[in-house]
Amino acid sequence: MPDPVDTAFSMVGCAPRLSRRHLLGAMLALGIMPVPALAGSRPVRVVTLFQGATDSAVALGITPVGVVRSWQDPPIYPYLRPALAGVTMVGLETQPSLEDIALLSPTLIVASRFRHERIAPLLEGLAPVVMLADIYRFQTTLEAMGHALGRERRAAILMMQYRARVVALRARLAAHFGARWPVTVSLIDIRADQVRSYLPESFAGRVLSDLGFRWNATARESSGVMIKLGGVESLPALEAEMFFVMRHSGSPAVADYARRLMSHPLWQRMQAPRTGQVVEVDAVAWILSGGMLGVLNQLDEIEAWLEREAVS
Amino acid sequence: MVERTLRLGRFSRRFLPTAWARVAALLLVMMLVLLVSLALGRVMLGPGALLEALMNPHAPTGLIVRELRLPRILLAALIGAALGVAGWLLQQVMRNPLASPDIIGVTSGASAAAVSYLAWLAVPLGMAGLPVAAMLGAAGAALAVYTLAWSHGVTPLRLVLTGIGMAAALGAVTTLVLAISPLTTTLSAYVWLTGSVYGANWSDVSSLALWCVALLVPLAALMRQVMLAPLDDALATGLGLAVQRHRAALLALASALAGVAVAWGGAFVFVGLVAPHLARRLSGYSGTAQMVLALLYGALLVMLADLVARTLFLPLDLPAGIFVAALGAPFFLALLIREVR
Repeated sequence: MPDPVDTAFSMVGCAPRLSRRHLLGAMLALGIMPVPALAGSRPVRVVTLFQGATDSAVALGITPVGVVRSWQDPPIYPYLRPALAGVTMVGLETQPSLEDIALLSPTLIVASRFRHERIAPLLEGLAPVVMLADIYRFQTTLEAMGHALGRERRAAILMMQYRARVVALRARLAAHFGARWPVTVSLIDIRADQVRSYLPESFAGRVLSDLGFRWNATARESSGVMIKLGGVESLPALEAEMFFVMRHSGSPAVADYARRLMSHPLWQRMQAPRTGQVVEVDAVAWILSGGMLGVLNQLDEIEAWLEREAVS
Repeated sequence: MVERTLRLGRFSRRFLPTAWARVAALLLVMMLVLLVSLALGRVMLGPGALLEALMNPHAPTGLIVRELRLPRILLAALIGAALGVAGWLLQQVMRNPLASPDIIGVTSGASAAAVSYLAWLAVPLGMAGLPVAAMLGAAGAALAVYTLAWSHGVTPLRLVLTGIGMAAALGAVTTLVLAISPLTTTLSAYVWLTGSVYGANWSDVSSLALWCVALLVPLAALMRQVMLAPLDDALATGLGLAVQRHRAALLALASALAGVAVAWGGAFVFVGLVAPHLARRLSGYSGTAQMVLALLYGALLVMLADLVARTLFLPLDLPAGIFVAALGAPFFLALLIREVR
């Protein structure tokens, strides 16, 4: 991951080597001074209670004092481990340990109404709470946290950076597919016992929509974040020109189910498998991370795929 | 057992000093469990530190003890107490030692309503409506059981059988909702169905306490009728009981007590069945003392279950409902075996 501060400077056209005075002046102008300096002597002590909030805090250049256990590769997603070494774990996203949070004496708690509404009064007793409505809208999460942490500029720069990369990648995709662009797409999550089709409203679904992909017919007609497929008979609901496929975990049961699905005639008859447009992507980046850094990893994966396609 | 009579003008009551000594002893045990629960958790506190946390609002552990542990322990006690009384009342009125809020459809009605709420209404309406949904579900199920069992009045046996049928049907509804519900509600639904006091706050405690008081006052006024309820219909009528009217009133009270308990704690099963038996078999007293004992055993059971659930697998914090049966069942079976011998 490139250093966000460096990236910020390159985006506003600053020379890469600056004197300390210029650097501090530029940082102040950008509003990205570390918050402790802005807030006086009190350091920010953030506890993030869902994965997207943890990701967004790191994206904003803040190390939380407490985070919840990750869904995969516990306790922390590998891509966040360097930034979060030694951070206190405060239990599960669905049921964080309130006593552990209290012990950290936080100055800000980031939670979501979707998961933590029941404990909201208690959290508010511990520290000011940023309560996001849900956990899928990475832009909302980033902006709300940027606001609460006094890092609006940094959040805005990250969004600008994201939009710039989306525009560039969309052009590359259009060039790659030619007259077939925009192609239809399915975002498929294979678990040990079920298949889920993620919809435009979902976390990575928003990114695919921003990139200009068209959704498969079933996704266009459905509402919500995802649909569970009943079984192999429902595979045709995934029909699209391109598949992004995630394996929910590295467990043998998932691998076994994925093998069974992908060798099934109904799978092999669909357009994407027939034309070899099935891209396996990382479940952590695409559904579990929930934040801007995860989104940037998704863009990296699509770019890497385009490069592989160009070579072959 | 020496029975005493208390007379104050027109007011007179008979009471057994030994029974009330037992009640006092149980209260003492509860106080002890309360103190131990306050001291144990993620941060272990010694007696001195606990006293400081309780007395000094600015102590670093004050927040943990007073805002996190104390309301949680009290909510557990209230839920257990309400379920214990509800179960005892149902066993009296139904004349059946197997009667409990779980069997006559109250818990399953609340469960079906709560799970449906979690699946479809929790996101647009927020979680504040969950206790209301659960209470409406409990009331609806109790009313449906009563109406379906009606045929020139209700008899206890018809009520029990109708209740079992209703519980089975509502159990199927709950499972169906879980299977078709959108995704992530499933986990919170399972926690609810097990029964948990995680995240209890003072406003939960005061709401439930208010409900319990509001329901126990009319119950106290009806105690004479409760004592006559286990008798044969003809005998009870002869002793001045308006059998159908009083039965309906007592059933409504029992359902409401169980309904509010479940609304704030989730579907704690087994408490309502086992607490009255503990009261009956461990003491042998009858009357009000027995009801108070059922209340205290119920409270103690849920308090202990939550203490174990919260501390045994640290840092995990499990739903207390898991341990109600784990603690209650062996004890219950041991009692039965001892009685057979």
